[in-house]
Amino acid sequence: MHKFTINVAALTALAFAGTAVQAEDRVLNVASGGSENMVEYVTDYLGPLFEEQNPGVKVKVIGTGPGDAGSQKILEKLEAQRAAGDEEWDIDVVVGNQLKVAEMVEDGLLASYRDNIETGKMVTRDTADSALGVDVSGYVMPMFHSQTALAYNSDLIQDPPSSYDELKSWTEKHPGLFGYNGIKNGMSGLAFVVGWVYAYGGDPAVLQSGPYDQGVASSWSGALGDLKSFNENITFTPGNAGTLDMLNRGEIVMGPVWVDMFYTWQADGRIPPSLKLQLLSPGMPGQPYYYAVPEKAQDADLAQKFIELATSPAVQAEGIVNRFNWYPGIDAKHVKDSLDPAVWEKLFSDVTPDELAANGKPFPIAPYFTDIKEAYEQQVSN
Amino acid sequence: MSSAQLSNGPNRFASILLILPSLAIIGVLFIYPLGFSVASAFFETGQFSFENFAKAIDFYSRDIVFTVVIVFLATAIIAVLSVCIAGYLTLGESVLAVAVLKWLYRWPLFIPFIVSAQLMRTFLAKNGMMNNILIEAGVMEPLQAVSFLDWRGIVITFVWKQTPFVVLLVAGAMAALDRTTIEAARNLGASKLRILIQIVVPQVGTTLMVGLILSYVTIMSVLSVPMMINAQTPTMLTVDMAWRINSYGDYGVANALGIISYLITGIVAWFYLRQGLKEGGAPK
Repeated sequence: MHKFTINVAALTALAFAGTAVQAEDRVLNVASGGSENMVEYVTDYLGPLFEEQNPGVKVKVIGTGPGDAGSQKILEKLEAQRAAGDEEWDIDVVVGNQLKVAEMVEDGLLASYRDNIETGKMVTRDTADSALGVDVSGYVMPMFHSQTALAYNSDLIQDPPSSYDELKSWTEKHPGLFGYNGIKNGMSGLAFVVGWVYAYGGDPAVLQSGPYDQGVASSWSGALGDLKSFNENITFTPGNAGTLDMLNRGEIVMGPVWVDMFYTWQADGRIPPSLKLQLLSPGMPGQPYYYAVPEKAQDADLAQKFIELATSPAVQAEGIVNRFNWYPGIDAKHVKDSLDPAVWEKLFSDVTPDELAANGKPFPIAPYFTDIKEAYEQQVSN
Repeated sequence: MSSAQLSNGPNRFASILLILPSLAIIGVLFIYPLGFSVASAFFETGQFSFENFAKAIDFYSRDIVFTVVIVFLATAIIAVLSVCIAGYLTLGESVLAVAVLKWLYRWPLFIPFIVSAQLMRTFLAKNGMMNNILIEAGVMEPLQAVSFLDWRGIVITFVWKQTPFVVLLVAGAMAALDRTTIEAARNLGASKLRILIQIVVPQVGTTLMVGLILSYVTIMSVLSVPMMINAQTPTMLTVDMAWRINSYGDYGVANALGIISYLITGIVAWFYLRQGLKEGGAPK
């Protein structure tokens, strides 16, 4: 009986001690508008690393889902907190896509922080200053860059198409064997359509950097008419993962995919090693994901420290390139030194750095992007 | 206590107090958002216009027709299947078969739509489980395999998921029937099918209608199934609404599409209410 009481007392004391420690914890809230793997990146790798370096800090991550939808949810949450007049917003670090982070910058929801952190000088790609035509300089750090490319089954195709033109004639000869996911079911399909408009819809440089002219969209009707007849010879897939699934089951032998997903699935054995990548000319788009800090983040200092770690060469090498197969967010020359050459070469084995430089394009500026999507809906799918 | 007494004095106050919580919930969670979406669909630009509706029709007319066809087709198949299953549960003579069916048919009720969609995605694919079984069994040649991941997949998933719900209601109503009518018909030599169609179904008609209407409304509101199963265009309106908001931040057209779906469900809701009024009293 005595023993029991003592045990209870000890347990209670322990429980209290536990809460006391917890009360002292600083919590860093990270909202990630990305796929499952981007949440895992923080829960399994970056979060524990940051907690280890900063005792007493707890990293909490919420995943809001991939694509525009996920980042839109973060934007709406920040807007709502501002509209409610909150002095402290409960998101410290935003991980978002280009379109929505650009909107957040325009809405004044984010703080400028890049000059405060050491790694701010290590970014060189133009996407760090301009997101779909919006000036985001100072407000963002690229977490990684990702690229779309054509995946194909090398057992069946020795000589894959290297351009949109060649792909077009290939699908005429092999109807149903190329698949993509339209525009509403994930960005890899949308990227394929954007690449199509770059190839056949006039000057891609104007679409990528402006200036915006409302009349340009009307010049795409020929290109989109061709895309509609191209669509007759292909298979539609259910989503980014859907394309990879169908490649894996052999239902299609070719389709546009995200390079990082492709390598991750291949490493996990979810798609066979016989699948390879090819970057179509004149170019397919890719995009970065950004780290940003809300204007009224609860713990902005800690958030900056977190982003500094996340964009340091060591973390970019181990986390971004080695573990998750993304292209680094900061300049590659800072990252290469911290990496095993074999890992580096694996990332560039199918798509060489030269091809990437020549045919890896940004997405168009936001108003053209909207025009492309709407023109597709109106002229290709309805 | 007469009704005159009810509407007087403190009693009336008490009854208003009693319904206040539910009124408030309906007001805040239903009437307000409904009004908000109607306002946004018509007044997004600041003044009254049909612009959002014009755009919705221009972009999504095929999807509207597609949605209506899918929903009616799925509901019709659910009606046939649920009458068959509930009928067998009521009239079937093999105790074992009835017990097995009773145990089996409810399973899809406990599986959420998104999980059903994921199941169907691997089951109905071209080289999915269904075709593989058929090929292994020698029923089909590998080259004949086609993917069902299009409108057929959506209909199959909705039917699979919603039939048990209607069966549950209809079988309950059938079990509560006065069995003497069935016995009488049986004594006069009617076949089971005839008993089902001419004696049983007419008596549970209202319950069947209610079950189907509720299924219809549920099907209209599901986003995950068309999103995950149907890769092609046309697609269902819920997908378009999500797309307008997520991709363009365009609540105006999304709400216009929402109102179009209200109208599509409104038609059956009207039947539902009218049925209730005809029978005198609240709809069941």
